Amino acid sequence: MTTSKENLDETPFQTAGPFLHIGCMPNAIKIKKLYKNDLGEIPFKSKNESELITIEGSVFDGNGVALDDVMLETWQCDEKGEFKEESGFARFIPNNLTKKFILKTVKPGSFKGFDGKIHSPYISLSISSRGLNMTLNTRIYFEGDELKNDPLLSIINNCNVNSLIAKKISKHSYLFDIFLQGEEETIFLDI
Amino acid sequence: MNVKSLIRRNYKKQPEVDFPDYKSSIFRAPKNKKISFPSSDSEILGPIFDENVIGELDNNLTLNFSKNKNSPLGHKIIVYGNVLDQFSKPIEGALIEIWQANSAGKYLHNNDKNTAPIDPNFAGCGRCLTTSSGYYEFLTIQPGPYPYPNRGIEWRPMHIHFSIFGKSFGQRLITQMYFEGDPLIQDCPMVNSIADEKAKKSLIGALDTSRSNTQNLLAYKFNIVLRGIKQTYFENRREGL
Repeated sequence: MTTSKENLDETPFQTAGPFLHIGCMPNAIKIKKLYKNDLGEIPFKSKNESELITIEGSVFDGNGVALDDVMLETWQCDEKGEFKEESGFARFIPNNLTKKFILKTVKPGSFKGFDGKIHSPYISLSISSRGLNMTLNTRIYFEGDELKNDPLLSIINNCNVNSLIAKKISKHSYLFDIFLQGEEETIFLDI
Repeated sequence: MNVKSLIRRNYKKQPEVDFPDYKSSIFRAPKNKKISFPSSDSEILGPIFDENVIGELDNNLTLNFSKNKNSPLGHKIIVYGNVLDQFSKPIEGALIEIWQANSAGKYLHNNDKNTAPIDPNFAGCGRCLTTSSGYYEFLTIQPGPYPYPNRGIEWRPMHIHFSIFGKSFGQRLITQMYFEGDPLIQDCPMVNSIADEKAKKSLIGALDTSRSNTQNLLAYKFNIVLRGIKQTYFENRREGL
């Protein structure tokens, strides 16, 4: 067994602020012709519509207001449980009228991790915005999947564990609301 | 077996998320403690972006939105540095995205209510991938400071927003670079959400006079450190042996 000691501190976070779209998704706010595409518009380019699930939801602040100035990023393995560095990343914002985000992606598979354990299917999710001095991290698991032996879920001893599980609405669609504060506060992760 | 794990984040050197001096955090900062757990594949791995997503002028903010090659207003600056991990190892191919206000302190964004003028030749966004030595460089315009509503009117120090993807999703970083000598830094609640003085200072780009004097523009150096990944090797052994 070998380990070595790190010698530098991680650079501190600062808030992404209200204008993060300029740098991260300029096309979404109509700054056109600068970048051909915004990154993460389509997480799996080779898949067609019938192979995808839909996850929709809103991000609520402590006043119960659904926010439209947050940026969400997701990262996941494919349906076979394989992580591929060129696919599986998505970046999106809530619609400014409905305040809902919609992610169309492949339903991830379960996988055997570096730790030798079987992980239930999940999507990693991060949230950045004005008012958040650090990016928040959580996960989206799926109702109906085998979840009780998942290495993360099985160590969470918290009544809000359901905040990590997307509700199944129909065969291919799920609901995943995020609560930044309040009784239903979503579980956030120190990844 | 080769087990990888991210170095645990040192929250003493990070901003406080629940920091009421920054008013917008009051109804957005979660109140409960985050759950810590061993890194798994999704944190160790991450999306990688290749050269063909980057356009030729993406790291030149003085030209990437200019009309008929007109320059944006303000003075040109170079912002450069290296992206390293916590073991001082350069990170090649890290994606850096930046965004900033123009020289008058105005963002090209509908939600910016500041009355300062927009600059038709400046969008304020750029991106690049780091080289094999972790090096990056942007040519841009000195962003202006600007007023914003917080505890009454306050002024943001001049800054550039940075978003960085390393090799791992757990290395993901979003931060801001400030400018050496800016008197507005010391009272900024976003800066002061970091308690550790050394950590705070690490966000201040240093004026590089030698480079400034040879290139006819001011140069600022800003190094970025992403989390390190520890590797622990165990001998492969069958159970029970």
